[in-house]
Amino acid sequence: MSVFTSGGFWAFVGVVAGIYTILALGIQLQFGFTGLLNFGQVAFMAIGAYTMAILVVKEGWSMWLAAPLGVAAATAASLLLGLSSLRLRADYFAIVTIAFSEIVRYVATNENALTGGSQGTIALGEVGKAAQYNDQWERFQARVQGWLHVSSSDVAMLVIVWSVAVVLLALVWLAVRTPWGRVLRAIREDEDAAASLGKNVFAYKLQVLALGSAFGGIAGLFYAWQFSFFSPADFQPLLTFFAWMIVILGGLGRVWSVPVGSLVFGFLFAGTRFLDFAPLSYLDSAERAYLRLIVIGLVIIGLVLLRPQGILGRREEMVLE
Amino acid sequence: MSVALAVEEAVRAFGGVRALDGATLEVEPGSITGLIGPNGAGKSTLFNCVSGFLRPQSGRVLLDGRRIDRRSAHRIARAGLVRTFQTPRVLARMTVLENLLLAAPRHPGERLGRALAGRSREREARARAGELLELVQLDGHASALAGTLSGGQRKLLDLVRALMAEPRILLLDEPIAGVSPALRVELLAHILGLRERERITLLIAEHDLDFVMRACDRVIVMNDGRVIAQGTPEEVRRDAKVVDAYLGAKHQ
Repeated sequence: MSVFTSGGFWAFVGVVAGIYTILALGIQLQFGFTGLLNFGQVAFMAIGAYTMAILVVKEGWSMWLAAPLGVAAATAASLLLGLSSLRLRADYFAIVTIAFSEIVRYVATNENALTGGSQGTIALGEVGKAAQYNDQWERFQARVQGWLHVSSSDVAMLVIVWSVAVVLLALVWLAVRTPWGRVLRAIREDEDAAASLGKNVFAYKLQVLALGSAFGGIAGLFYAWQFSFFSPADFQPLLTFFAWMIVILGGLGRVWSVPVGSLVFGFLFAGTRFLDFAPLSYLDSAERAYLRLIVIGLVIIGLVLLRPQGILGRREEMVLE
Repeated sequence: MSVALAVEEAVRAFGGVRALDGATLEVEPGSITGLIGPNGAGKSTLFNCVSGFLRPQSGRVLLDGRRIDRRSAHRIARAGLVRTFQTPRVLARMTVLENLLLAAPRHPGERLGRALAGRSREREARARAGELLELVQLDGHASALAGTLSGGQRKLLDLVRALMAEPRILLLDEPIAGVSPALRVELLAHILGLRERERITLLIAEHDLDFVMRACDRVIVMNDGRVIAQGTPEEVRRDAKVVDAYLGAKHQ
């Protein structure tokens, strides 16, 4: 029990919520504001993380160069996906995105020479030698820890992740308030109407897809740094749907609902560890870990029944057509 | 330049049905041209082909003498040909004012880089939007969500939103269908006023013959995907082919 009440545990929960915030912000921009159904967000996370790790381990690049390139690779992949598939109707595009994310995961699993295969990044280097891509990041994190005078490296990570998350949230918040954001919402409402008024719907969708994927890439970097190791199994489609749950929990079409949704989701997810009283204590801890999915499922069902607009959404927008 | 819009031998089939079967017509600049014909005559398909929402399978569409039949819808709108839809496509979860502002042409704030750099022309756009809302007496609803408007108000919003896009030629698809008689008179006045004040060329598809005969100075009649008659309302009214199309050939 002591581990759960320590600051370190909650800092860890907060870090994960911060990473989810960045990931889900992409979904919010794409779906909440533009109506674009992306069920493959986890792919861009994987591409960002793998690009960074491969460049550092195999090519000996500085992490500070490899990281932006990871984001660039995620963005470039989304452009390829968008150019080929964005003209499809919304639901067909959604199918393409989930297929794309599975292709990325399968490639990562099977291209042993490139990605380390199912063993993950530990097998990136030479045979028999555990590969590390994290040295430079850990030095940076230690320096931040020194500046902040905190004892836990998780707290340092918490500050770094949430600083980046808040900057991205603020940028999106500003952007959707401009006439640019107005065009996005018009596309969400009725893309034919937007086109009839001279708006290049395809170009806006492509832009939004690329931006959201860049956020996915950034989330992937932080995921890689936080866990110091990852494998293709970390990028299951379930992670994409966690991001979707966060957006639905928080409320669609609102920027600040994303961190709220992430925190609620993160704490529900971690909090189910405390359900160790009778009769739940008859279940072992691994079985209890599955309870959190049930709890989150129930919360979402309850929310859809009682508050379909999410925690911060506007009710009146739900009833209009 | 004597023709604002020309359609030449346009063909568009859906499966075995040739919705447009060699339609040819011309719209004179500054005119109010009515487009009539029985249900299924091809009026809506023609509108879609002209405005870029469908591509004609053969034939040409010319705007001010330039071919536009291969252009996408947004480029045709930017070139000055704007359309409305049969059922008004208001953006329900955006305010009435936002609906109008969206239509402002060449708005620098719609580019992400410039928008974040604060380069926008919102003030101009807002002033123009305010004038247009006043024109159709929707100014009291400016900050209401467009989804809360009545059917007739939506028609008006749709009309002024199209005007906000500063068209040189405006295509109205059944502008008075479903509009109350009192509002019809008002809409007619607005439409007549448009040509006077804004020098906009109008092409109006409408079922209400009485409205077309009163509002339009030229009328084009379609049937089975072709243009069967065009001329002044008086000429068209007397055309035997038109009478046949509406009443069936048997009445003779």
